[in-house]
Amino acid sequence: MRRFSYAYPATRAPALDDVDLELADGEFVVVAGRSGSGKSSLLRALCGLIPHYQGGVAAGELRVAGLDVRDSGPAELGGLVGLVGQDPEAQVVSATVRSELELPLELRGESDGARARAVEEVTLALGIAHLIDRPTDALSGGELQRVALASALVLRPRLILLDEPTSQLDPVAGNELIGLLRRLNEEWGMGVVIAEHRLERCLAAADRVVALAGGGIAFDGSPCELGEWAAAADPSLLTPAMRLFELAGVRPFPVAAKDARRILDAQAIVLPPPRERLPVDDAPLSGHGSEAAARPALSCRGLWVELDAGAGLREVLRGLALEIAPGERVALMGRNGAGKSTLLRAAAGLVEVARGRLEAPAGIALLPQSPSDLFVRERVVEELPGESGRQALATVGLEWAGDCDPRDLSGGERERLALAIVMAGRNEQRPGAVALDEPTRGMDAARKGELCEWLAELAAAGSAIVVATHDVEFAARFADRVILLGDGELIADGRADEILSGGWYFATEVARILGGEGAITPEQGAAAIADARAASPGSRVLR
Amino acid sequence: MRSAIAYSPKPGAFGRVGALAASVYLGSLAVAAFVYSNPLVLAALAAATVVAGLLCGAGRALKTSARWAAILGVFIVAVNAIASQRGDTVLVRGWELPVLGQLDVSGEALIEGGLLALRIGVVLGIFAIHSACVDPDRIMRLLRPLARHSAMTASLVTRLVPLAAADHARLREAAALRGPGAAAVGRAAIVRRLVAGSLDRAVDVAAALELRGYAHGAPRRSGSQRRSRHDWRFAAAGIAIVVVAASARIAGVGDFNAYPTTELDARMPTLALALALPVLAALPFAGLERAKSSSRASRERRG
Repeated sequence: MRRFSYAYPATRAPALDDVDLELADGEFVVVAGRSGSGKSSLLRALCGLIPHYQGGVAAGELRVAGLDVRDSGPAELGGLVGLVGQDPEAQVVSATVRSELELPLELRGESDGARARAVEEVTLALGIAHLIDRPTDALSGGELQRVALASALVLRPRLILLDEPTSQLDPVAGNELIGLLRRLNEEWGMGVVIAEHRLERCLAAADRVVALAGGGIAFDGSPCELGEWAAAADPSLLTPAMRLFELAGVRPFPVAAKDARRILDAQAIVLPPPRERLPVDDAPLSGHGSEAAARPALSCRGLWVELDAGAGLREVLRGLALEIAPGERVALMGRNGAGKSTLLRAAAGLVEVARGRLEAPAGIALLPQSPSDLFVRERVVEELPGESGRQALATVGLEWAGDCDPRDLSGGERERLALAIVMAGRNEQRPGAVALDEPTRGMDAARKGELCEWLAELAAAGSAIVVATHDVEFAARFADRVILLGDGELIADGRADEILSGGWYFATEVARILGGEGAITPEQGAAAIADARAASPGSRVLR
Repeated sequence: MRSAIAYSPKPGAFGRVGALAASVYLGSLAVAAFVYSNPLVLAALAAATVVAGLLCGAGRALKTSARWAAILGVFIVAVNAIASQRGDTVLVRGWELPVLGQLDVSGEALIEGGLLALRIGVVLGIFAIHSACVDPDRIMRLLRPLARHSAMTASLVTRLVPLAAADHARLREAAALRGPGAAAVGRAAIVRRLVAGSLDRAVDVAAALELRGYAHGAPRRSGSQRRSRHDWRFAAAGIAIVVVAASARIAGVGDFNAYPTTELDARMPTLALALALPVLAALPFAGLERAKSSSRASRERRG
């Protein structure tokens, strides 16, 4: 890219502004940046969708593998560049997985043998051989994401572009995907450009990081250099490991957990055994005291839910029993298909309970995975009319937005408006429980912080907050209790610092660096390091 | 929950048959249904459709199509009874209307309406089996070299239908989640939102098609279809059904006149044709069942 700029149709502000970027063959590049910084536009330009497909105004030069993107459209570039977008549902165009994978090969006139071999290899590489004859509309989000990736890889492109590919995946599947991309990159020299908000997931695999701000390149360097730049220019791009080092005053900034442990070891910072690190608190989890314990905001006993996604009835929740007190902040975690969303949907009355008891005595407001589904009118005040609507808007701090179109609000404001819509008129705008299904999908760190504050306020006002999420770092920041589901059953339930530090996958980066139970957030980790320093004066601090 | 007529790969032999052979087999029954009005032959074709559907593993799809056919059938019989003013056997003498004249209901009109409904039922059943058992992408692949742009439009629509269904389900759920203080959302609002969202969806899906290479130029040749060793059985059965039905028709077998009085050919050749059609429809499965039971028997012997 040489001085490449682009503006979408009917907009003045450029989505990409004077970008100079050269990607070498076989590089693994992470594109970082806040929401709206131009990450998706950059990827769309690299595969020719911009400007050929999107329209708009482009200026400057853009060449991919020697082809001028102004002359060669996405179809010509398709054999060289593959794109996996944010929404896998909109990227899969065939009825079965096999047809989906064969389509690009067939359109390029590949022979039967070449097609069969390419499909066989890509399904084995991505571990989706068992899905090959399944209909695409019967796949889960994670499975669809893999099929979309396989479809982009089946032509063995030289460069693969991925736009937040892990946003719908659980930590296990997310790590597997990054590992797979690294393997393709190392063994086959395939270039990888991945736009991600959860940098801690992919930084260790990257050769280079490009950070965008306002459509331009704000940083272009190695992952090792990112920490220094982000600490000074945009702290929201610091990974939890970098934030830990920033708060603890330890330098240099680490790239990932292994790197962080090496630096701490080198500086002779020896942490005490985990159990001695934090005072053990045997008090019940937060909530509003004994009154809360007597009357839970959400409870279930022997809960069974069966759903039919087209292949017959499947037990999605199997004899679940739990209680959530008013004011508690609970993260509901587990792998894709573990039953998290189903539990919330059952609590909100969207799916039938096959057996058992499920109660939310003071009501439950559920924010669905896609909050914009709640916006069906063109003015905020039309969504929330009357006095109860006004009160609901005031509760989320949007009383000024009555005449705005909901789609014109910022991402955080839209989230708050959606919350106001589901809470309006319930128990004087304060339902007993507020549930959110994957609210941080595609959110940058700044918006996650804003959401955390809102949820904390709601909890302080007495509502139990239940968030189904794959985002371990968000859960550590928001929750005081974590419930882990596996195959529809409760497999762990306890304090966030216990659950999010005790496993391999459902553990925060800080917990993986410091090892064992106790510190899961950068703030807690920094406190533990400060204690360690005080206990062993020999440790050095590099500034 | 997925629709009963949505395609899903079927485990039996028919599930492995190529799209062309499957279409020839099922299409032959539809052709025969359009060629004949004789109730004996149509009833035989209905039986053949049920036999084929059950052996293909499309029982649920058949049940769904039967429900549609029943509703449509009642409508067709009622409309034909009023619209067709022919027939000697007047059952109900109607009113004298200024423009339409006298409206009578004759026994012949009722019979003809019933036969039309039966024919529509057979065709709907065949369509349902085809939709549930034959991969639409393989059909599209057959058509692509003949009409590339139409095939692309069809691909887009084929993908947009399940997406729109999923979006509709999500919007309906979101409407149910609104608090009592929020404005209620009716069907019209959901449909409006769905249509607006469908345009975005169409753009996304079209972008995905573009990246897959639809604009790359027509494939030099149609990719050869995935074949099964059973293709010839179903194709041969389909061709046999068309040949038998057409030959018999040319020979004047299975004549039927609804008006002015119902005349039905129920001679031996017609009965033979009515017997032959379900047998021909079941024939491609017969050997397979034997093969399955003989392999089970040999396994049991080995065990």
